Amino acid sequence: MLTINNLVKHRGNQEILSGISFKARPGRVTGFLGPNGAGKSSTLRILLGLDRATSGSALINGKPFAELHNPLATVGAALDGFGAHRMRTGRAHLRWIARAAGLSNSRVEEVLEIVGLTNAAGKRVGKYSLGMGRRLGMAAALLGDPKILILDEPVNGLDPEGIRWIRTFLRERAQSGNTVLLSSHLMGELAETVDDVVIIKHGTIVADGTLEEVIGNHSTLEEAFFTLTSEIAGAVV
Amino acid sequence: MSVSSSRKITQILGAELDKLVTLPLIGLTLMGTFILNLALAAAFTSAGLQGAAGTQSILNIGLASMGYLKAGFIILGILATCSEYTGGQIRTTLTTIPWRGFQLSAKHLALVIITIPVAFIIAASGILYTFIMMRDTAEVIEIDTMIKPLLGATGYLTLTTLLSAAIGALLRRTTPALVVLLGYYFIVSPLTRVFLPSIKNYLNFFPDTAGSYMYMPPSSDELNVLTPMQGTGISMIWTLSFITVAIVFYRKRDA
Amino acid sequence: MRAFNAELSKLFSLPGIWLAFLIGAIAPAVIAALDSIAEKEEIIAGVSTRLSEVGYIGLVLGVQGVIILGVLAVSSEYLTESSESGGGQQITTSLTVVSSRLHFLLAKAGAVTVISILLCIVAIMTTVSATHLVLGEYAPAFEWQRLIGAICYWTFTALLALGITLLTKNGIIPLAVLMINSSVVSFSVLLYRVTKLAVYLPDRAGAEMFMFTSDTFTGSLFVRYNTPFTGGLVMLAWVVVIFIAAAIVFHRRDVAA
Repeated sequence: MLTINNLVKHRGNQEILSGISFKARPGRVTGFLGPNGAGKSSTLRILLGLDRATSGSALINGKPFAELHNPLATVGAALDGFGAHRMRTGRAHLRWIARAAGLSNSRVEEVLEIVGLTNAAGKRVGKYSLGMGRRLGMAAALLGDPKILILDEPVNGLDPEGIRWIRTFLRERAQSGNTVLLSSHLMGELAETVDDVVIIKHGTIVADGTLEEVIGNHSTLEEAFFTLTSEIAGAVV
Repeated sequence: MSVSSSRKITQILGAELDKLVTLPLIGLTLMGTFILNLALAAAFTSAGLQGAAGTQSILNIGLASMGYLKAGFIILGILATCSEYTGGQIRTTLTTIPWRGFQLSAKHLALVIITIPVAFIIAASGILYTFIMMRDTAEVIEIDTMIKPLLGATGYLTLTTLLSAAIGALLRRTTPALVVLLGYYFIVSPLTRVFLPSIKNYLNFFPDTAGSYMYMPPSSDELNVLTPMQGTGISMIWTLSFITVAIVFYRKRDA
Repeated sequence: MRAFNAELSKLFSLPGIWLAFLIGAIAPAVIAALDSIAEKEEIIAGVSTRLSEVGYIGLVLGVQGVIILGVLAVSSEYLTESSESGGGQQITTSLTVVSSRLHFLLAKAGAVTVISILLCIVAIMTTVSATHLVLGEYAPAFEWQRLIGAICYWTFTALLALGITLLTKNGIIPLAVLMINSSVVSFSVLLYRVTKLAVYLPDRAGAEMFMFTSDTFTGSLFVRYNTPFTGGLVMLAWVVVIFIAAAIVFHRRDVAA
């Protein structure tokens, strides 16, 4: 269970997040939507203890991220970018993460197999394509076999096969009782994957509910999204 | 501390060691430093051989390259901490090990484990080369008089590496960290010694000068010299305070 | 010309460049002021021997600023040191914008040259004022030939830094080597003790464009070997050779390699 409660973040004089609250529940895939710069990544970074909230809280199973006993086995996270040093090989990258969490090297080979990177594991991360980098990020997130997954734009840069794989994979995770929170701006893709939807705009939540509730009278999720986030019709919820 | 937290510490230390070892730039830096040091030792020896025979001490010439050698270790320290900020690795690090103070301390500890043997080997190789080349011309020195400055040199290089790592962690970017550190060690520190002889006594309290007493053979013509122990103490205080400041900042700011 | 303007705006938008400006403009003046203070004591004591040298030492060491400039100009194209960027290198963008690699290089070298010259002129102004401020009536007149020599020295050094960084693709090594070499414990001075051929090393030869006597402390060994003109030529030859090597390597190399 992920609980975001009245989260505020200032950077300089800018207010990035102005008091947002929502939950991501176990057994469901929660989609976190918003235009570029709406505050999606900031929220996820605070949730993962990377950035500090100005006020409010972002809790994982009721605790801040830094107080988790075994973070890698509790939360798997893949943020934007590769998250790995360019000069290291993919395998070496996963191995130091495994070492930090007390996992074996054979687990590294397992996740490499799951994300389909076994053949590229000996290459330097700097030579990876965007899609391969995303797969490496997924592999790192899955290392500890966590109950909670937090993914920032997981399908960005993936080929059609990869996108389908992510979709079925995330559905399976949720069905077996895990929590999945993913951010995206690909509406069509998201509508096929998520159960719950949270829409953020200019650092405030403009919609929060199940997929059906959020779509409401609109024909598609995309339609609903544009109505909710466009400047003119901003007040409709 | 429970059993599980002591295991956690070893795991984190292991991960930090892994990170250092699998970074090719670090291996290259150390290799380059080793080769450069031998080349410099050769240059100093050959310059020494051209000088008046018999008056040169092998130790002085063997350690003369220390002045340049520290550059390699400054780079090592900077690479260790600044490499976190390449390709966004810092986010992976902090989602894997969210205990920031712990993590940065473990990184410094891992750096010590790597630096001590390497610094010892590199410093010793320079002295050994000089020893072999100058056996016949210079006054012969005993092994045990060599050991103390050698240990001092190892300590000096290790503390310099740690100080550089702490500054790297503070600045987070390789180039500014490199400019600041090289600027201090190679420009500001020697210049103040030349231009401001009046404050010489205070210079002893700065990391570069204080640290150099750790390996410098005591010379009689200078007043106000520090003993190797005093030098070690002062550089250690500098290094530890910079590491502390780095950790405080690291814990406070957004990654 | 458009490529040149692009290179200029690229350089000015680098945060590290301000560090280079700061060091290049301020450091020579500070060093010259310190040197002048020491010199003033000697004048008063009546033992001054090197009045005409005062201040130039600042220009020798202030060259650090343009070293940073030259290295950053290239390393910023390759470096990705931001927590957000995935793996993009600016060089890919640069080479799709300016398709000819030779044009790209010439534009970059041109931008670095112009900035170095301007920076050196600023440094000379601050240095001269600092010396006058401290020495007052004793202040020596600065000869314009030597000041032009200093400008050439700065520009050539910046271009050397640029060429070497282009060969290594990584800023760390050239920055370390060049910064140490232009400091008090220069490799060239050490090598000079081994072989007299070291006078033909670029920094040693180039410094003869404006450093004269053997009495300043950089050069307790600084005996004149070349005239300012040949010294400049030797350094220029180094710049040309390194530049051609860098251009050939850069032309052949895949961007991703």
